[in-house]
Amino acid sequence: MPITIPKSILTTPKVPSIAVIGLMVAQLVVINLVNNPEPTCILKVERPHHSTSMKELQNLDAIKLNITSDCTAPQKFTRVSARIQKLSNDREVTVSKFVARMADPIPKSRKTAAFRNLFALCQLGIDAAYRGVAEGYVILESGKRIDVTGDSGKYEVENCLIGAQ
Amino acid sequence: MSYFEECLTLGEWLSEADRRALYKYLLECNRDTYEAQAIILLNESTLKKTVANGEIFFSITNKRVGYRARKMGSIELTSELRQMELSGVRFIDIKRLKKFFAQSDVDVIQNFPLPGVNTSTQTSFGIDAYPYYTLAYYANGNNYLKGFINKIRTNDKEILTKLRTL
Repeated sequence: MPITIPKSILTTPKVPSIAVIGLMVAQLVVINLVNNPEPTCILKVERPHHSTSMKELQNLDAIKLNITSDCTAPQKFTRVSARIQKLSNDREVTVSKFVARMADPIPKSRKTAAFRNLFALCQLGIDAAYRGVAEGYVILESGKRIDVTGDSGKYEVENCLIGAQ
Repeated sequence: MSYFEECLTLGEWLSEADRRALYKYLLECNRDTYEAQAIILLNESTLKKTVANGEIFFSITNKRVGYRARKMGSIELTSELRQMELSGVRFIDIKRLKKFFAQSDVDVIQNFPLPGVNTSTQTSFGIDAYPYYTLAYYANGNNYLKGFINKIRTNDKEILTKLRTL
């Protein structure tokens, strides 16, 4: 005796088609995010340090602040405003505020821009604790703007006092 | 070696005050040269010049002047980080271009110095975001009244005297 399967069971999907499409879209979004994540940039602010090269080459004592912006995508340029803060009687005091600077990416890596000319003259022989702080933005080659901030972390002592000349 | 010649070798070690004084000095002593260059640029829309260890390529597009630069002997040009609006009135534009030339000369001197004391650690082409001929520079992008006061307070006489005499 032949078995008769009702037609409706064969043609009606158990999972609604809208849910299937939704799952496919979600999967595409996840794959896209994994393969092409949103570009990000970070500002690396190095510890302010007494520059030995400036001492050797020009016989000047200076505290130098090196900053690098690193992105996950090629950038057009980075713009930063930076300052050096000193710890004075447990209070943070800005001892050097640099004018805003812009930098092209370095030729070797279009994702990185470096700032190497931020320095303040100081008087050798007097201890002071410093940290570097910077904020600004990066314009990527795509035209997107990414705001960035950074600091060098905790205060570190250098044997050279800014603002004592 | 004169102090000016020394400045051409300092590169990233040119301080903010040095750069500002250098701008004023170049504007003062290159007045006629800059004027002649401005006329060429306005007539031909392009101009190439050299300063320190760099080459500068100026161009005018849609009433805007900008420049790209490169280290002598290199093929890698910088991006057009600095631009300036022109008015379309010739004598005003000549005056503006003179300032733009002095500014771009300082930009290039600090990035492409002559061989000397500089350690060539500069890897990015970096400039002051605000040009020295604007109040924005003295205000560092903040209140222009504050910029005006800072401009009056700024004293570059000592470095300027060194540049003029030593």
